Amino acid sequence: MQTPAPSDFETQTNATYDALMWALSRPGMARKLPVAGQASLIAALIDRECAIFSDDVHLMQIAAQAGAQIVAQNDADHLFLSATPDPSILSVLRQGTDIYPEDGATLVMPAVIGHGMALRLTGPGVDGAVSIKIDGIPDAFWTARRDVMRYPMGFDIFIIDQDQIIGIPRSTAIEVL
Amino acid sequence: MSLKSLTKAWEPMSYGFLDASAKREIRRKMLKAIAVPGCQIPYASREVPMARGWGTGGLQISCTLLNPKTTIKVIDQGADDSVNAASIRRFLAGVSGAPTTTDTLKADLIQSRHRIPEEILREDQVLVLQVPNPEPLRPVQPNMSIARQMHADADYGRMWLQLYEQIVRSGRVMQGASYPSLVNGRFVMTPSPIPRWDVPKMHMAKHLTILSAGREKRLHAVPPFTKVEPLVFDDVPYKVEDHGAHVCTRSGAKGYFMNEIPQDDGPSTFEVSDSELGVKSIHRADGEAVQIGETWYKNGEMTE
Repeated sequence: MQTPAPSDFETQTNATYDALMWALSRPGMARKLPVAGQASLIAALIDRECAIFSDDVHLMQIAAQAGAQIVAQNDADHLFLSATPDPSILSVLRQGTDIYPEDGATLVMPAVIGHGMALRLTGPGVDGAVSIKIDGIPDAFWTARRDVMRYPMGFDIFIIDQDQIIGIPRSTAIEVL
Repeated sequence: MSLKSLTKAWEPMSYGFLDASAKREIRRKMLKAIAVPGCQIPYASREVPMARGWGTGGLQISCTLLNPKTTIKVIDQGADDSVNAASIRRFLAGVSGAPTTTDTLKADLIQSRHRIPEEILREDQVLVLQVPNPEPLRPVQPNMSIARQMHADADYGRMWLQLYEQIVRSGRVMQGASYPSLVNGRFVMTPSPIPRWDVPKMHMAKHLTILSAGREKRLHAVPPFTKVEPLVFDDVPYKVEDHGAHVCTRSGAKGYFMNEIPQDDGPSTFEVSDSELGVKSIHRADGEAVQIGETWYKNGEMTE
């Protein structure tokens, strides 16, 4: 049997997913995406089974090209945002149900990693506690996140800074320092 | 928009056997499984060239994670050389060109049936466990819709009752493998039919564990540094198999999980279940320089 060689698309999406998986497994530890930007996440995750929301026309086109349905924020299973959303949005995001918590949304948004407000993360994937610095996400966002989610329901967040990515699953408790 | 932009270049077969849409679906479900540790996430479970129930769940996860630089190790009940392990390993290498190994320390991805290696896994390693029955509530609630509701309600009273009945009837917990365990204080999961010996290895482990049931079409995950607590009563402590005193007749290894080999004349001999650890022990006894990693158990006692 001849061994198949991975295409460039396969190599890139595989490496992107590897970064996503480890980012979510170890909240707060930044991983490196093979290609900077949110489009690589769309390539690795999104197809016609998904309903997405994006406020970025370019990303919306890429997702539509991949076959995703473009829907409003409250119906989307993946949201690709160009800035931190207003905290009031969090209460309308899909959070799944107690029976199907996996229906909760995945929120992808940019921020600056390594500067700014200090956050203390605890929960699964964190060895004790880890402190990170994120700039561009207001205090109110984290407060709203804590207030609207009732584990195991909730949404999961990926923060992207160029080719750096940090995952914040719903299981992570965040304290603003 | 051109026709070319709507299609992909022709390939004789998809890399890693699964096509891109199957991989995307598994990726999305795996992310949610990691976000909600221990919760069973339904997934499509595509056809693979192997019968359901022979490790198709683990195989699909491995196929999704593989790239040509991933070093793969496959074990079946601790052994690298059993038929199931050898054929899965050959298949994975064949569809991906990934290097294979039997050494736990050199592996990036370990697909396993019913054992966790004795050497401590690192924080860059992924353990994929094959799961025949992902539903810990099935013995007490065969209706899977009701069982799902019970998970949603964290209604695990019947699990405790089952353990209590075992203690009353038999004087001890009779659950030998797939011991129900509470993950992150919320979901009771089955750790797959690993022996009781292996369950404490999952608690606050450094590696990522993904458990996938191909026939039942569900997967769940235990992220690194996550609490995994076997269900026990305060006054009846959790006990692992009493293998600490057994010595492997082939390698001389002592204090690890053993396979019992009954002899014709009555008694049994023992052989270390983690076959690669046995091989390494033999090489070391022969004076060769082999690296045996730190083990979870030392002299039959769990460390940490």
